[in-house]
Amino acid sequence: MTRTTLALSVALSFMLVPSPSYGQGAAVASFDKLPDWSGVWSMMGGTVFDRATQTGEGGSVTPGVREHPPYNAEYEKRYTAHLALRDADRYPDVQTNCGVPVGYPRILNLPDAYEFVVRPDLFYIIAENGGNTMRVYTDGRKLPAKADTWGTYTGVSVGHWESDTLVWETIGLKGDRDNDSILDRTGLVLSDAVKVTTRMRKINDNTLEAKMVIEDPKAMTKPWNVTKQFRKSKPGLFLYDYGCAENNRNPVDTKTGKTLVLGVDGKPVN
Amino acid sequence: MTSVHKIVFTAMAAVALLAIQPALAHHSGAGFGKETKEISGTVKEFQFTNPHSWIQVNVADASGKIVEWSVEWGSPNQLGREGYRPSTFAPGTKVTMKVHPMSNGAPVAGFVAAKMPDGQTIGKWDGE
Repeated sequence: MTRTTLALSVALSFMLVPSPSYGQGAAVASFDKLPDWSGVWSMMGGTVFDRATQTGEGGSVTPGVREHPPYNAEYEKRYTAHLALRDADRYPDVQTNCGVPVGYPRILNLPDAYEFVVRPDLFYIIAENGGNTMRVYTDGRKLPAKADTWGTYTGVSVGHWESDTLVWETIGLKGDRDNDSILDRTGLVLSDAVKVTTRMRKINDNTLEAKMVIEDPKAMTKPWNVTKQFRKSKPGLFLYDYGCAENNRNPVDTKTGKTLVLGVDGKPVN
Repeated sequence: MTSVHKIVFTAMAAVALLAIQPALAHHSGAGFGKETKEISGTVKEFQFTNPHSWIQVNVADASGKIVEWSVEWGSPNQLGREGYRPSTFAPGTKVTMKVHPMSNGAPVAGFVAAKMPDGQTIGKWDGE
């Protein structure tokens, strides 16, 4: 190999290594300055995403139950259509087919157990249900430009600490673009223009609180404020894997929206 | 009852309710009726699997014919944290169950409670 070839190879190898496009440099907290969010947590309340605006008695699959986000006319119409399907037990939750992540912000609206992993450079939400994972980068990088996102289930999140509160912004969500990302089983959806600002902190030894401001100029007339809380479980519990496809006897028929129940022979009984 | 006792009692009741809810979280629970039916039979298999567990029970119908029932319960993860194990319903165990059957008459149901041979109960045996 000539010196020129070697130099070219070295130069090329540097070009192939992805560069940190969004930069770092802001002060990053050290472990000893971070709050203790260790342990196993469970979401408080049922899976109606915005219980503060809920009308109707029951859970997210109970006919008549709905929430009241500040939807514009188009998205209110869409939500009303979803509610009618839900009332007829025909609104499909594709999560039930074990194929896609629940995404953000629905990852903060799940049953079963959670772990919230705080590191100086990164914050993980680990939801057993699904399983689902979300990352919030706290290493000082900036959010990418909108043109550098392409719409994913959990989007891109960058955060920082304000005393004991983790503040993060989430963009790059796919919303209802492909009809496979919802907030709950009433049929709440967001658009792909949404930005969510979340402030999360421990409000007492046993309670974590996440306050979200959801701004969606395509779907809403004003910001939507939603708060979710999580209760700490007794110490020593384990989380397990959640092999959703291990023995799924309740797939959704995506053509009809019907949740099937499979009998022992694997055939639907409903 | 003092206000402190009321708070403690309410908190204990809430925890107890959380502990026994069936937690059919993966799907809507569609198809199960509100009627509670009692079935007695022999455990064939306990599918302690995600996303939900299923107890297969052989039950004799009115004519004496054995019918295999599928009884759906919570996720093994949640049940495991509450102390249940794959051995909770060992094959061959005689069991009586309270269930919410499918409204169309299929031998498939949601779990409510069970009474074991030694009289021990699991779930909401004394009322939902």
